[in-house]
Amino acid sequence: MDSLPVVAINGLRFAYGDIVAIDGISTDVPTGRIGLVGANGAGKTTLLKILLGVLPAAAGSVEVLGMNVATRQLDVRSKVGWMPEGDCLPPDQTAADFLIYAAELGGLPTRAARQRASDVLGLVGLHEERFRYMGEFSTGMKQRAKLAQAIVHDPALVLLDEPTAGLDPEGREEMLDLIVRLEGFGINAIISSHVLTDIERTCDWVVMLDGGHVLRSGPMTDLSTPGELEMEVVGDPGPVVEALRRLGGVVESGGAAVYLKVEGGDPFMLARDALAETGVAVRRLGARRTTLEDVFMGEAP
Amino acid sequence: MAEGVVFDLGYRPHEGPRLGRSGARWALYRDGLRRVLGLRRRMRRKVFPLVLMAVAVMPALFFVGISVVLREFDAAATFFGHAQYFELTGIMALVFVALAAGELLIPDRVNGTLAVYASRPLTTIDYLLMRTASLATVVIGFLWLPHLVLFLGRAWVSGFGSYVADNWPTLWKTLLASGVYFLAYAPLALLIAATSKRGALAAVLFLGVMLISGGATAALVDSGFKSFGLLALNQHPGYVKDWILGSHAHDWIPQQAGFEPIVSLVVILTLGALCGLLVVARQKKAA
Repeated sequence: MDSLPVVAINGLRFAYGDIVAIDGISTDVPTGRIGLVGANGAGKTTLLKILLGVLPAAAGSVEVLGMNVATRQLDVRSKVGWMPEGDCLPPDQTAADFLIYAAELGGLPTRAARQRASDVLGLVGLHEERFRYMGEFSTGMKQRAKLAQAIVHDPALVLLDEPTAGLDPEGREEMLDLIVRLEGFGINAIISSHVLTDIERTCDWVVMLDGGHVLRSGPMTDLSTPGELEMEVVGDPGPVVEALRRLGGVVESGGAAVYLKVEGGDPFMLARDALAETGVAVRRLGARRTTLEDVFMGEAP
Repeated sequence: MAEGVVFDLGYRPHEGPRLGRSGARWALYRDGLRRVLGLRRRMRRKVFPLVLMAVAVMPALFFVGISVVLREFDAAATFFGHAQYFELTGIMALVFVALAAGELLIPDRVNGTLAVYASRPLTTIDYLLMRTASLATVVIGFLWLPHLVLFLGRAWVSGFGSYVADNWPTLWKTLLASGVYFLAYAPLALLIAATSKRGALAAVLFLGVMLISGGATAALVDSGFKSFGLLALNQHPGYVKDWILGSHAHDWIPQQAGFEPIVSLVVILTLGALCGLLVVARQKKAA
């Protein structure tokens, strides 16, 4: 981590009565787009609320953008935007009016707020709809309006809680594209989601939560598995699996797929030899692609 | 033919000043005013507050107009003095507060907009203070405006300088009385709104509590249970108002029960403080 962490958490603990939601976690996350993944109830939303200072930490410390949340809560909020998972839009206000208001609430002077509201509505693709009451918006438009209110005051960090919830595939793609573009605007993002493919698609760092613990916190690139390959063969994979094992490989197979791992060797050379020996045709061959789901399922207790 | 050029300005970060908490509070206050008055909302939201205000000011304008036309102002001949005028506008203020309190607090909670406030440099106390301040501005303004109109009309007819010099205390007294009405009505209305999901229901409940308290305590005081006179919630502001304005035209229930107007004022302030604390607790939980 080269630069100052966007979020630095040390020994954080939080409980709802007897139920421990965050259990002594410590992690630093860098600038960029950060994925916060975990099953429902893993503590993702609780952690986001603690980062905003909405919920007080029972123990430990949290720094956001170099500011202690416990002592500089309002300073943190001036620099942070939040897109909540649930509704947050007044149905009887137009998108333009609400965005101007949201920008003013973020501390922008009125003239700047009007300009920002117009810019951001264009950015999220709602410029044509700016004078419509938000109660008339579709789910996709509402999600975009929620993102717009989260960034309209030009925060340094935006917290997105399940930003693709309820969206159809097209709306989801548009939302993910918008999230990817945030980094180019100088806005860091923490994206909470239980949809692992969304995180894979948008983030360059991932924090995995499970039962209030951090399972993993690191760059997405660490999730690749060097020294492993996967291939899909034509026909029965039995002979090639047997050959690979005989040549010293650790093999898993499922259907036509074969996964090969070689300790201290090159799996591609081993695969070449096994395929040549057995004469089995290969449909697809490449480095093993480890998904967040693989990691999550592998590391969750 | 001139060739058009498209400039992509891209993303333009805000590089100007940030007003922080004070800017956020000011925005919240202005939003409260708009919301109470129905401004920048659908037409149906504007109708009630504007009609109520018009009805409140219309008699004052009418009397002033007559006085100006006749070039004389006979206070005895006018239907309304300042104290009597409050009895018309006081009832309107009661209905107005009932509806406006719900409009200020309920939609934010029901629509989830509190989440937006939670991500801005504001505290729950800021939120409630600014909402209350916007309600106070409109209600006190609404109650006081007719008195200002009457005062200026009388001053115009009676020779401006001498009238103002002799009668200026009327202005602050009517302003103070307007504030008393606000303090007597708003805290309970806000408390009920803070615990309700529907504005109409909250308004009916508030009006019910206020009106029933008056009727029930009148019967109890008549039956000899004098101490129940303190529970005539809708009577206290009128009694204190008459005390401030030096009027004795009305026989209020707390007065019948033998309480001094200062006791009514203490009841108003105590109830206001209690409701205020409960609203803060409720709002913190909701946030």
